[in-house]
Amino acid sequence: MIRLIRAEFTKLATTRLLYSMGATMAAFAVLTVVAGIAYAGREGNPALSADSLPMLVGLPVTLLSGAALLLGILGMTGEFRHQTVTQTFLVTPNRGRVVTAKLVAYPLAAIALALSILAFTAALATGWLAAKGITLSLLDARLGHVLLGAVLAAGLCGLVGVGVGALVRNQVAALVGVAVWVLLVEGLLMSLLNAPSLGKWLPSAAAAALTNPGGAQLSRLAGTLLLASYGLALALAGTRLVVRRDIT
Amino acid sequence: MAAITIDGLTKRFGRVVAVDDLSFEVDQGTVVGFLGPNGAGKTTTLRTLLGLVTPTAGSARIDGTPYRELADPIRHVGAVLEAAGFHPGRSARNHLRVVATAAGLPLARVDAVLDQVGLTQTAHRRVGGFSLGMRQRLGLATALLGDPRILILDEPANGLDPEGVHWLRGFLRQLADQGRTVLVSSHVLAEVAQTVDQVVIIAAGRLVTQSTLADLTARTDQLVRVRTPQAETLKALLAAQGVQASPDGADQLVATAATTEVVGKAAAAAGIVIYEMRAERSNLEDVFLQLTSSQGVPS
Repeated sequence: MIRLIRAEFTKLATTRLLYSMGATMAAFAVLTVVAGIAYAGREGNPALSADSLPMLVGLPVTLLSGAALLLGILGMTGEFRHQTVTQTFLVTPNRGRVVTAKLVAYPLAAIALALSILAFTAALATGWLAAKGITLSLLDARLGHVLLGAVLAAGLCGLVGVGVGALVRNQVAALVGVAVWVLLVEGLLMSLLNAPSLGKWLPSAAAAALTNPGGAQLSRLAGTLLLASYGLALALAGTRLVVRRDIT
Repeated sequence: MAAITIDGLTKRFGRVVAVDDLSFEVDQGTVVGFLGPNGAGKTTTLRTLLGLVTPTAGSARIDGTPYRELADPIRHVGAVLEAAGFHPGRSARNHLRVVATAAGLPLARVDAVLDQVGLTQTAHRRVGGFSLGMRQRLGLATALLGDPRILILDEPANGLDPEGVHWLRGFLRQLADQGRTVLVSSHVLAEVAQTVDQVVIIAAGRLVTQSTLADLTARTDQLVRVRTPQAETLKALLAAQGVQASPDGADQLVATAATTEVVGKAAAAAGIVIYEMRAERSNLEDVFLQLTSSQGVPS
């Protein structure tokens, strides 16, 4: 299994996908920091202070969860799109093992991506505010809270992405399906259910509970378990129903 | 034990029967041409043999074991398949690195196979910019990565230019000389006739014949080609003697399973003018066409 996971990392390291995703996320991180600093102290936002770092670092976290989801979907469906899945299954005829290797590799890659972007965001914010004469405190308990949420969200969204890709092996269908689900279906379900007690069990709400637990949301532990269950259930169903099909 | 055993293999895709109760064996160390027209079921058979397609009935085994149960499959069997893709953004060398890593093979094998197929110079280029010939070479390099004793090649000459076909032929012979078992599919007999010891011919998913190339050559017919202004008359005369003849062009006649003596005597007896007459043999391609078309495609 170790060598299959290593092969997944080699695959990721030898195409442009992860690098271009990193560059895009870094660009978005710059935008969010600019916006975060511009709107600080206005429209009810707290003014910049030595304690602003967790707020600024937390800005790209939702976007990074989306990137992790995308990474997982593209990683799994890309095998079918480029027909590399034939060679993959020739080397490893046990298809469940291939999906398992991806379920390990993609969350780890998504976490690495998230941590790099958050480190970049922190460096950017620290440097910028230092130029404005504000020295940010790096020893802030809330920073750890943001990082933990970001790592969990990125990892679990990567897991869900691989699961979605295993169930819907057509790349375009998988991407459109997830977009429709997140942007439309969940919103409709929320308003139809009209009950936060039920809505909190939806995948997006579970992901939100990781970065912003408490209140109407689930606890962080419950969110983690729920999102992991969604990812594993999708992957299991996909492996049983779709990945096992004939490769022609 | 046979290197490859296809036993009562049947595969249906919905209503279409792609492979229909097919059985044949490939002995160790032989080079076997797997022939049939397009759509005969060659690719489906090979993909079933490689565990990519699940058979409806019957089995396909490598050294007596289904592919999916082989411990280290690519050390046993190397395969070049038509629709086996490469990621266009990945370099040839990195493609091989991925496969070697997943199979637990040393990275030294990557450079060895690149050298073997002559891709060392282009190893760092993205596969997206590769020509068809270079892709086929990379496919062969991938198949050889595990140094397997059995090679399965699906239409490896498809789309290659004459130089590429020539290279491939030499390469296959070299692999055969190393004592490897090779099963190579093609829809053109001439492509593999110079390389293979045996042929397995299928049509419409069924076995037509399995024989040595020598036996197949023996099935070619003795023909007599005659150029005469009285082709129709001669044709009727020969028919009376039980010799089949068919016109070929305005003033030519080709008699099947006949000798020049029979045709010459018949012509002389009727006073038919002959401008030219020569003995010929039908070629392997004709035998192949005859064998595969007589099976017919189910309507």
